[in-house]
Amino acid sequence: MIVITAAMVAVVMACGVVAGALGALLGLGGGVFLVPFLNAWFGIDFKTAAAISLVTVIATSSAVSAATTGRQLINLRLGMLLEVASAAGGVAAGFTITRLSDITLERGFAVATALIAILMLARLEHQNVIRDTAVDPGPLGGRFHDEESGGEVVYRVRRLPVALGVSFIAGNVSAAFGIGGGIFKVPVLNAWCGVPMRVAAATSSLMIGVTAVASVPIQYAHGYVKPPLAAAAVLGVLVGSRVGLWFGVRARSRWLKVLMAFVLTLVSLIYFRRSM
Amino acid sequence: MRVEPLADLEQKLGQLLVTGVIVSALLLAAGLFFFLLDPGMARNGWLLNGGLIVLMATPILRVMVSVAEYVRLRQWFFVVVTVIVLAELTLTVVVALSSRS
Repeated sequence: MIVITAAMVAVVMACGVVAGALGALLGLGGGVFLVPFLNAWFGIDFKTAAAISLVTVIATSSAVSAATTGRQLINLRLGMLLEVASAAGGVAAGFTITRLSDITLERGFAVATALIAILMLARLEHQNVIRDTAVDPGPLGGRFHDEESGGEVVYRVRRLPVALGVSFIAGNVSAAFGIGGGIFKVPVLNAWCGVPMRVAAATSSLMIGVTAVASVPIQYAHGYVKPPLAAAAVLGVLVGSRVGLWFGVRARSRWLKVLMAFVLTLVSLIYFRRSM
Repeated sequence: MRVEPLADLEQKLGQLLVTGVIVSALLLAAGLFFFLLDPGMARNGWLLNGGLIVLMATPILRVMVSVAEYVRLRQWFFVVVTVIVLAELTLTVVVALSSRS
C-alpha cells in the first residue's frame, strides 16, 4: 500500500515537468524516465509506476499535439497508418509478456535503445528535406515551412515496412514499460524513413496518446492508476510541455537529434543497470 | 490540392485535444487540491477519476472525429485505417469495463 504524502505529490509533479518538456521537444511521452524513477525512488511497484506513466503519456500527447497543430508538422496520414501497427502490437502484448521474462525484456530494451542511439548519431547530418517544392511528396510524405531551411520544404517517406515494424514493437512493449514508444519511433522515422526530425517528433506526439489508451483503461480498471499521483504527474507534464514547446521552436534540428541520442544512451544505461 | 482538407482536420483535432486537456486538468487540479486538504473526502475521488476518464477519452474521441472526417473526405483507405484503430481501442475499453472490480 502506498501512502501518498504532499512531498511525494510535489516530487512526482516535478518529474512530470521533465517528462513534459522532453515530450514537447522530442515527441516522447517521458515514461522511460518516470517509470524507473517512481520505482526506484518511492518503491512504487513496477506495474503501478507503468500505469501512472501511461496516463502522463496521454497528457503529453494531447497537450503537445494541440499546441503543434496548424504548422503542418503533424503527418496525420503517416501517424494514423502507424497507429494500426502500434495497436496491433498492443493486442499482442499479453502474448509477449507471458513468453519473455522481465529481465529479458529489460535487456532487450537496453540493447535496442543503445543501437538506436548509435544510428541516430551516425545519421546526424541527414536533413531529410528537399528544398525543391515542385517535388511530389508521395502518398505519405508532406511539406512544411522549415525555419532552418528558410522556406517551404518537401519530404518523402521511405522504408514504410520498417516504420510499421518499429511501431508494432513500440505498441507491444508499451504496457510493460509504461511508455508511449516515441523513444523507438522518433529516431527510426528520422534516421531510416526519411522523416525530418520535427515532423517525426510532432507525429509521434500524436500517436503515443493512442498507444497508451490501448492499454491504460485496463490498468485503470485493475486499480493500478493511483489517481492523486497520476493527477500530480499530469499537471506537471502540462507545465513541462509549455517549457519544451518554447525551446522547441528555437532549437536547431541537429541539437534535437544530439539530445535524442543522449536520452537514448541514458535510458539504455538505466535499463542495463536494472537488468543486472 | 489534397493538403487543404487535412489542414482543416488538424485544426479540428487540435481544438478537441485542447478542450480535453483543459477540462481534465481543471478536474485533476481541483481533485488534487482537495485530496491534499483532506485525503478522506468522497469529493476527491469523483474529481480525480472524472479528470482521468476525460483524459483517457480524449484520444479515443480524436480517432472517432478522424473516422468521420475521412468518411466526409471520401478517403476510404484512411477510413479503414482509422476504423481498425477505433476497433482496437473499443476492445480495450470493453475489456476494462468487464474486468472492473
